[in-house]
Amino acid sequence: MSGELWKQPLEKLAPAIRAGKVSPVALTEVCLDRIANAGARLDSFIHVSPHALDAARVAEREIKAGKWRGPLHGIPIGVKDNYLTEDMPTTAGSTAPGLSFPLRDSTAAATLRKAGAVLIGKTRTHEFAWGNVTPPVCNPWDLTRVPSGSSGGSGAAVSAGLCVAALGSDTGGSIRMPAAACGTVGLKATFGRVSRDGIVPHSWSLDHAGPLTRTVADSALMMQVLAGYDAADSACQAQPVPDYSKALDRSVRGLTIGVCRNHFFDNLQEDVEGAVEKAIADLAAAGAQVHELRIPLLEYGLGAIFAIELSSSTAYHDASLRAGRVPYYQPDVRMLVEMGRLVTGPDYLKAEQYRSALMEAYRKVFETVDVVIGPTTPITAWKRGEWTVQIAGKPESVLAASWRFTYPYNLTGLPAISVPCGFDRDGLPIGLQIAGRPFDETTVLRVAHAYERDHDWKDRWPQL
Amino acid sequence: MGDAYKELLGLDLPPERLQEVLAAYADILAEIRKLRALDLTDVHPAIVFEPTAPYRKMP
Repeated sequence: MSGELWKQPLEKLAPAIRAGKVSPVALTEVCLDRIANAGARLDSFIHVSPHALDAARVAEREIKAGKWRGPLHGIPIGVKDNYLTEDMPTTAGSTAPGLSFPLRDSTAAATLRKAGAVLIGKTRTHEFAWGNVTPPVCNPWDLTRVPSGSSGGSGAAVSAGLCVAALGSDTGGSIRMPAAACGTVGLKATFGRVSRDGIVPHSWSLDHAGPLTRTVADSALMMQVLAGYDAADSACQAQPVPDYSKALDRSVRGLTIGVCRNHFFDNLQEDVEGAVEKAIADLAAAGAQVHELRIPLLEYGLGAIFAIELSSSTAYHDASLRAGRVPYYQPDVRMLVEMGRLVTGPDYLKAEQYRSALMEAYRKVFETVDVVIGPTTPITAWKRGEWTVQIAGKPESVLAASWRFTYPYNLTGLPAISVPCGFDRDGLPIGLQIAGRPFDETTVLRVAHAYERDHDWKDRWPQL
Repeated sequence: MGDAYKELLGLDLPPERLQEVLAAYADILAEIRKLRALDLTDVHPAIVFEPTAPYRKMP
């Protein structure tokens, strides 16, 4: 295999490992070395597994013996620190006293192990996945900037080649936002597609699981293993799992791409808008029909997601509130958890009514289009410690701005991917978001792959 | 007023902290007020009660 091992995507590593051309032990050693050296300043891992090399040795022996388990066999994968793991501690990003999480594998971690993956360590999360900064993690493209969050550790680690892929969780955009900010691919699958069993809850009906990867094909390979029914997650659905890689080589010809001109194009940074408009034009040039549309109901989404997310999170943390642990949370998370008490029951249910209405609005949209595309975020990675950004000359809080385009797909549960679509004038990555019908990850991946194939963004690496 | 909040919300915070939380909530409340103004009387909330859930087979 030519080129540096850590720059190789899963799609190339998997056949090379199967053929004995790449050693899982050597690959794991390279990743561990990068975590300890080139990636040390990123601080993207909270825990590096002391068992990773042993797991790689086992994988190598099995593969040599002809017992190849599939594309993830022998592949080093990072696990977000809100997924329970039996051989690594889980903190959910919190140092509050009196909290502990069981040493047992979440369904996703167990599934990856069964597929032969090497769980190389736990990537940092914003505390309880409740934020978009993920301190102290730095963005590989500019160490003075945030990786976004809450899966910021996973985004930074994959972007810098510290692991081949990583798990993330997404309640309002927490897979897609760091994917956009760090220049990786991030897929939030349909609600019910990937088990959330053993993920520390944030907001039960908004939480989604999914992978962060270097390429769209890698995302398809990760999804092939992660997708499926799990009775331990009450939201999981027993839907058939298609072959996600099969449709990747099809072009966008014959597909109709929806561009929602309200909400998703309001108040964008100029470079983000330019890159996304260019991506739309490129997809049209590649044969897709472009259909412009509006979803007026989106205007009410922010109140709805706040009502659901705040009240759910506060319900989860209720025992900690009563036990006096919440004052030990980070100030931003403490504020949100205390604030959830202010959301009334009728407000919560109104938000759930709104969700039904929004899902119906999207159902009608998907009668005409196959996917809806737009920017993943209106802004690129912002400076650490900065809480307000200037967008088109107006100040906006990063909390409000960063998830504006991602949370509609948590409210609706629709699958949505972020794929790199360029860089801004400061050299920071920009994300293109592609959303699809429920359980139609295949079309989402197909469009993302068709776009990715025609551009070289995935071949650019941050200088560390 | 502080005691009323404490009773109603179960939020046992010192008055000055409560004021901080209320102030931080103001922008969110403005968004929730917009939502309240929507007439969704005939829309069932996106919540399904499933009495058979405890009988699902665990792994």
